[in-house]
Amino acid sequence: MSQLNEGKLYFAGVDIGSNAAKSVILADDRIIGQAIVPTKADVEKSGVTALTAALESAGISRDDLSYTVATGYGRISASYADEVITEITCHAKGAHYFFPNARAIIDIGGQDSKAIKLDSNGNVVDFVMNDKCAAGTGKFLEVIARALEVSIDDLSRKTLAGDYACPINSTCAVFAESEVISLLASGEKEENIAKGLHYAVAKRVASLFSRIGSNGGDRVFTGGVAKNVGLRSALEEVLGSTLLVSPVDPQLNGAVGAAILARSNKLEELEEVDD
Amino acid sequence: MSLTEQYSYPEEIRDEFISTEDIVFRDGTHKSAEEIWYFMTEEAPAKYPYAFTKSNHYHRRLSQDVTLPSTIKHNYLILTMNERISRARANGTPVVFVQGGQSVDPYYAAGAIALRPASTGLWAAGQHEGLNLNQEELRRMNQREKAHRATSFEICQTAGYENIQEGNLPVDMIAPFTCLRCSDISYGVESHRHGKRKLNLFLGDYPLSHQKDKPWAVEYFAQNLRRLTREINGFTGRQTSEADLWAEIKLHNAGRRLAVDTAEAWWAADSPPTNGIDRRAIFQMGSMEMHGDPSASVTVLKEANRYIKERIKKGVKGEGVPDNAARIFVCGSCVRPNEYRTEEAGGIIVGNDNHWSDISTIVDEEGSDPYLNLSRAILSYPYEQDIKGRAAWTVEQLRKSRAHGVLFLYNWGCNTQSAIARMLCDEVKKLTGLPSLIIEHDQGGVQSEQLQNRVNAFVEMVRP
Repeated sequence: MSQLNEGKLYFAGVDIGSNAAKSVILADDRIIGQAIVPTKADVEKSGVTALTAALESAGISRDDLSYTVATGYGRISASYADEVITEITCHAKGAHYFFPNARAIIDIGGQDSKAIKLDSNGNVVDFVMNDKCAAGTGKFLEVIARALEVSIDDLSRKTLAGDYACPINSTCAVFAESEVISLLASGEKEENIAKGLHYAVAKRVASLFSRIGSNGGDRVFTGGVAKNVGLRSALEEVLGSTLLVSPVDPQLNGAVGAAILARSNKLEELEEVDD
Repeated sequence: MSLTEQYSYPEEIRDEFISTEDIVFRDGTHKSAEEIWYFMTEEAPAKYPYAFTKSNHYHRRLSQDVTLPSTIKHNYLILTMNERISRARANGTPVVFVQGGQSVDPYYAAGAIALRPASTGLWAAGQHEGLNLNQEELRRMNQREKAHRATSFEICQTAGYENIQEGNLPVDMIAPFTCLRCSDISYGVESHRHGKRKLNLFLGDYPLSHQKDKPWAVEYFAQNLRRLTREINGFTGRQTSEADLWAEIKLHNAGRRLAVDTAEAWWAADSPPTNGIDRRAIFQMGSMEMHGDPSASVTVLKEANRYIKERIKKGVKGEGVPDNAARIFVCGSCVRPNEYRTEEAGGIIVGNDNHWSDISTIVDEEGSDPYLNLSRAILSYPYEQDIKGRAAWTVEQLRKSRAHGVLFLYNWGCNTQSAIARMLCDEVKKLTGLPSLIIEHDQGGVQSEQLQNRVNAFVEMVRP
């Protein structure tokens, strides 16, 4: 009996990013396990930790896996992976999995922000990423949250309570931090600063997005920063459209896409064997 | 990833290699394949261990396509740059600094050696022996920092300041053409006016805007070329005749034609017959500047041309080249992605417009005035035309090279290429529908993961 007919096949996607390592386990095409752990100095170990935690939550072991794809910057350290694929390709597949009508993705991670255009099969047809700069990324918000001595979640909530958005320099995270300190010293409300910050990020990301153009369809917001309600609101206003966010943690989108690719690449391999 | 593990040429290829042709130099001397083998297997690994770093993360590592003798000979010429140029200089041959992307016929006709920024960097690197990759990278970056301190942190074009003014390269003259390719070259030249060493400064003043169609522009630039050769004659004590320039044009055209012929065969082949790094070196030899000796470049190119055609006939694929590779054409000056890592990801760089513009421009060998012919050719460089003109030529290269996508790279601090990148890619997209990716490159060094990630994603996107 061929492997195709032998019963359930399990696939793993591991996305090792600058802030967090994420893993997702699929049984055929259903998500049955997931995990998010902080990325530490030992990047390979972080990936293994995420994978192990996801396997535990799925109730299977590593030996049960048919194929593993690793993605994210840390993928070069993933010796346990059968294949490595960039997170741009994986995010497209992940977004397509949840939203088959998705044609554009905004992904904001720890150090990258990306705009991705995809086709009806979840394949990337164009993409653009930030240059060597933290402005418009999760790191930008972290830096400012630290300056304001609040958590990222609190920063996000403050955005919604602001009366107006303070104009903030949107081109450099380091200079923006100095600006924030000056604004606080001049008596500006934290809520307005927070709002200004989120709009600065939104405008930066929107200008990236404008370079890929629109081909209709849904727009999806992925990555850890998609959990930030303040930024989502700012982005929707700047872009003039609704952004969909996946029903599972959007930080897992890359890992979901990696697992989807693990499945499709393995099935393709098995079909060739069967031929 | 180990940046200290070393590569060595396998002993089993020795016999075949040493039976190949000599390199013939401009001064008539020869270097046999056996002597080259000895240097590349015994002397060079001890002198320049960084060059033999095995890791794919080092984009200049020696190609491991060992059955291509031109690769070993090219690397020999690169690693002996210091020895050869220093010796020529000591024997009275002046050395002139030029910019990349320009031809060097008149400099050689006048009796000088012409070196672009990267070549002065190789000459300087050759003066420091025994450095591993980390040490060599640190040395190079520290030296460059000296240029930045003297001029500006934000410039890309230092006009060789770090090695000429802050280092000890005995360059005699700074004399580039002020082509569009590098709009900052004039400022780089100006910076030498305030350097420690007083050097002859010369700008080959390049007119812009439909320059090739204007008789006054052709005559004006030809006058610049005549003045250039006269200035160089001030060093050599001899007068450059028109016959000298005709002879030089013929030699350089021979190299250009070989490079173009090789490229067209390479592009038309079912599978790439070499990997990306070998392709790049072979195509660029047509600039006649790369090795500091046009005659040597021609002998290596002739051999490369034969070997590549033989491989194409036999259906041999280059070492490390993936099946169904995403064929990427690179636009932009001075920088390129790591070919090895791009091939690991499933792609291959099939062409660079940088240098190709001047290499693919053949100078007319008929007529009464070689300076006018040379001027006409130089003013016709496709890279130097307006955006639409440059795009039209780029499209022609994309079609010949059967590219799946365009990667536009420019150096941090490069004003020209960064200003036109978007416009050129938009124009190319309009004409061909090919996707493009624009990336700002790191300033030299071991390439960042951030940059390679983007290249890899583009490869995944366009791969058939």
